Amino acid sequence: MDAFWIIITGFLVASSTGMLGNLLLLRRMSMMGDALSHAVLPGIVIAYLISGSRASLPLFLGAIVMGVTTTLLIQFFSSKGKMQSDAAMGTVFTFLFAVGVILVTRFAGEADIDADCVLHGEIAFVPLQTSSFLGLNVPAPVWTLLVLLLLIQVIFWWGYKGWMITSFNNEYAQSIGIRTVLWHYSLMAATSVATVVSFESVGAILVIAFLVVPAASAYLITDNLKRMTLLIMLQGLISAALGYFIAEWVGGSISGSMAVASFLQFAACFAWFKVGAKKEG
Amino acid sequence: MNDLIKYLTLSDPNVRYVALAILLLGGVSGAVGTFNFLRKKTLIGETVAHSMLPGVLIAFMLSGVKNPLYLIIGAAVSGWISIWVVDYITRHSKIKGDSALAIVLSSFFGLGIVMLTIIQRVYIKEQSGLDNYIFGNAAAMTPEDSVVFGVVSLIVLFVVARYYFSLKTVVFNQDFAQSVGINTKWIETVIRFITIISISVGIKAVGIVMMSALLIIPPTAARFWTDSLGRMLFVSGVFGAVSGWLGAYISYSYSSMPTGPWTIVMISVIAFVSLMFAPKKGVIFQRWSKLLVKRRMNEENLLKTAVQLEVRGKGKLFNRRSISTRQVFDQRLWNRTIKRLRRKGMIKKVHTGYTLSTEGRAIGAEIDRRHKIWEVYLQRRMQMSLHLVHDEADTMEHFLTPEIEVEILKELGLCSRFNPLLEIHEIVPEGA
Repeated sequence: MDAFWIIITGFLVASSTGMLGNLLLLRRMSMMGDALSHAVLPGIVIAYLISGSRASLPLFLGAIVMGVTTTLLIQFFSSKGKMQSDAAMGTVFTFLFAVGVILVTRFAGEADIDADCVLHGEIAFVPLQTSSFLGLNVPAPVWTLLVLLLLIQVIFWWGYKGWMITSFNNEYAQSIGIRTVLWHYSLMAATSVATVVSFESVGAILVIAFLVVPAASAYLITDNLKRMTLLIMLQGLISAALGYFIAEWVGGSISGSMAVASFLQFAACFAWFKVGAKKEG
Repeated sequence: MNDLIKYLTLSDPNVRYVALAILLLGGVSGAVGTFNFLRKKTLIGETVAHSMLPGVLIAFMLSGVKNPLYLIIGAAVSGWISIWVVDYITRHSKIKGDSALAIVLSSFFGLGIVMLTIIQRVYIKEQSGLDNYIFGNAAAMTPEDSVVFGVVSLIVLFVVARYYFSLKTVVFNQDFAQSVGINTKWIETVIRFITIISISVGIKAVGIVMMSALLIIPPTAARFWTDSLGRMLFVSGVFGAVSGWLGAYISYSYSSMPTGPWTIVMISVIAFVSLMFAPKKGVIFQRWSKLLVKRRMNEENLLKTAVQLEVRGKGKLFNRRSISTRQVFDQRLWNRTIKRLRRKGMIKKVHTGYTLSTEGRAIGAEIDRRHKIWEVYLQRRMQMSLHLVHDEADTMEHFLTPEIEVEILKELGLCSRFNPLLEIHEIVPEGA
């Protein structure tokens, strides 16, 4: 049963982050997952120091606030300072991470907290947090992630037109009166929430992988949005299952194995794409 | 204070190596990062640094010891592979650079995490200290480490000096470089090489993320100060070195303060100060110069309108109401503009209103003249219709320089004493 819940968790994370990854890919902001995973550290530490507990709600709120702050800072640096957007991103997230590490080392003596436990949530612990609901014994993270998935799906299908048009041609969108900045921030806010919720249960590295890799593989195979969505979910399921069995087999980290498994899938899609390209031309 | 003196004189042997090593590391990565920054591949360091983890661990498993040299070689090899994969993906598919970076980063680092969990289970005793390659540990640096950093700095310096011209050309214009016969592939390899050796020696000291920060932030800060590659390399290197030095000092004088993160905080402060205060490119300077342009435009608009009123026989006296029939000023803007113009001696107060001074009249007439020249140009050369040209000309009149004006008049075949009083609809379009 543990295996089942772990795989379901992986699948849920892949399906919700993958949808957003799809949009980040078009906006050339795929490194956002990596940036956010580092940048939220000070938020978590400060929330922990204020609340004095490791309860997940305050830490979650701290992370969300910091995630949104990160996107605002990046935007400020790149629009007001006219920095290249990747340089702005790199500067902001490494700085925030450094602040986080300093806070952690400074308060490590008094507090039961370290960078490792904050950043690398472990998917293997998911089945341990069961809670009973309607007579079903379902782990709490699964409920949270299920809600997240539904939320992301609703938001995605509600807003994808706006995000598509602002991704493909920002100037044009602006000229016909679309509020591009608003769209940008709403996507960034959604990404922050989705990644932070997911970090907690599966760890940063898997979120970074699932944010980009399934979306990129689907992008290689089809241009149809609905098919892309289905492919992302399918890949999430396969990567989660394959990753779980690799981890069982070698006896290593499950999150890490799932990340590797999703890369293997990407490689397969890449080969498919190459063969298709050769046939055509 | 005592601490500072002790630190600066390097009398404490422990701090000597750390400070020197971090200083060299900061300088080298600042310079190396500049090339990646200018090629708009700023985040490549982040991916390469994360991707080195499996290489380090494989080297450890193969050799069974934590010999830094083996681990550095392992790191370099896997870093090299990661860049190759990123390059392969972007070259052979429609996937863009940023996605390729994220894909490679997450999969290589994921692989590293899997291997690390296995190693922690199998090599329980020998493995301690391997996680320095993730989070870094500057305090654990030995005299040998600073020798290694010194050698790497020399190599980088030599390589940059040897290929300086080609590097410069490739960084600014790849196509041009190719067309003048520079082997761009080789130059790219050179950039990869210096990137990888500096990261592979650096991660153990400051950790993965701090190492990529050292490649990202110094050039970002340096870019605000200069446009030339040579100066940017120097400034970026100095920023990196100075922040490394300060970071090591803070870590030395306050207990349990990590060197790497403080180095990054220092360089971030430098970057932020550059962003705000740098001359020409800084935010404050830009705001200020925008404000100045706006002020000048308001002043010129007022003078121009006063001249137009005079020419049309509406009298020499003007006030806000008469000006606002042609150019709207609200009370606040009016007061401010009038105040500045009076101070400059462009206008004089005459009981119920204002009159132009000779100087003010000359400027107003000049602006009016430029306005009309631009209107005629738009109409004749750009084939724009009459009702559109006025708004365009309203902005351009403030930016036409005498040189451009001469060119335009030549182009239009008008004499240089083009009559400012000529109204646009009196000019017969060519061919009509």
